[in-house]
Amino acid sequence: MDASLLIIIAVALFVVYAIIQYNRLVRLNVQVDEAFSQIEVQLKRRADLIPNLVETVKGYASHEREALEKVVQARSASTTASTLPAIAAADGALTNALRGLLAVAEAYPDLKASSNFLQLQEELATTENKVSFSRQFYNETVRSLNTAVKTIPTSFFVGLAKVGAREFYEVDDPSARNVPNVKF
Amino acid sequence: MANFRALQSANRRKTFFLLFFMGVLVWFIAYIAIANFGGSGASVVPLAVLISLVSVWGSYYASDKLVLRMTRAQVIQESDNPKLFNLVNEVCIASGLPMPKVAIVNDPAPNAFATGRDPNHALIAFTTGLLESMDRDELQGVVAHEMAHVANRDTLVSAVAATTAGIVALISDILMRMLWFGGGRNRDHGGNQMPIFLAIIPLILAPIAATMLKAAVSRKRESLADATAVAFTRNPAGLRAALEVLARDNTVVQARSSAVAHMYIESPLDASAASRLFATHPPIQERIENLRKMESNPLV
Repeated sequence: MDASLLIIIAVALFVVYAIIQYNRLVRLNVQVDEAFSQIEVQLKRRADLIPNLVETVKGYASHEREALEKVVQARSASTTASTLPAIAAADGALTNALRGLLAVAEAYPDLKASSNFLQLQEELATTENKVSFSRQFYNETVRSLNTAVKTIPTSFFVGLAKVGAREFYEVDDPSARNVPNVKF
Repeated sequence: MANFRALQSANRRKTFFLLFFMGVLVWFIAYIAIANFGGSGASVVPLAVLISLVSVWGSYYASDKLVLRMTRAQVIQESDNPKLFNLVNEVCIASGLPMPKVAIVNDPAPNAFATGRDPNHALIAFTTGLLESMDRDELQGVVAHEMAHVANRDTLVSAVAATTAGIVALISDILMRMLWFGGGRNRDHGGNQMPIFLAIIPLILAPIAATMLKAAVSRKRESLADATAVAFTRNPAGLRAALEVLARDNTVVQARSSAVAHMYIESPLDASAASRLFATHPPIQERIENLRKMESNPLV
């Protein structure tokens, strides 16, 4: 076998190898985008649920103005946030405001027993879990991408694939990150 | 080693070695067949491989449909149990898996299982007893455990284990019959064959070893599913509480058979009937202990 054939084979093998690494990086990057849009879907779901909750609580506990106001404000702040850190911060603030409102609701047995509130309860529990699981899944995908960006051999192809390390989705409240399960 | 990532990789490694040993066992029994039984022994090997492959892989491919029939599970729609669908949906978001089919088994004994050849054909089922006896967090733990089986491709892993164990059992069985009915023929030809009593020992022991290895694979996959469930929910306390409910309960699933025992979250067979080496599940107290260790770990 002459030398030129060997060189052609070696180059071909390298090209195949480079394509595999390149595709891996691009795929991981797309997964992060997908995971982020999942967070947005769940945040939207939660935002849509809040007016109904606020109305229901108002009917039984209208003088808990402060807790209600906080939720309404946090909701409107979350719908206008656009950058990732801003979205994460607004998300954390809304989670806390909702928790505050539900803690207040504990003091109103009539409210807790109302059919409207009981219906909302499961809806809120599942939405809150979906929000935190989508955050967690997003962070897992960022973790895989960032590991690939920083480790050999994929790190050699970062420039070629135009893919870089991405930001984690960090919510201010540490308990919101560790314990996704919310009991109402 | 009380965090889920370490537990996951340890269990994956152990599964790999167990399956490797099962492969070695197949080569060993095939060698015995070829070395000691001449031409007729050698032809047994491809026959056993073929029978085992066809029988196991047929049931693997149609697992979601077959298991429904064997366990009398009914597939339900979202409107039948919105809360259960919410729970499954949550775990799908946490794991990135597609939504599986959900089924209910009308049985007062609390139990659950997962099946299906790949995540796109997954089916998870719960008994009515389980749904009635658990709160939201506990149910979430059970759902996560079942979805962990789907994520870890445990139907495939157990099909591989069943195929290799099946090959070993079939070869041993056929060779034993040959020894009984036609073994004399080989001795007439002379040659360097082992005395018969020496050939019998591996023929008896190999299928037992294969069964034990198959059970060990199943146990490792259960531990792995517990760890993966925690990776999904980050809430070991929920699954731990669920396992405690299962441990307290003494009723057993009605439509049970050893054919589907390995699929359930808790073994549906009587614990006393099987010794530890043949059990398809790790002892439930050991699983509860492992989850407790994860609860006290800040990494979770």
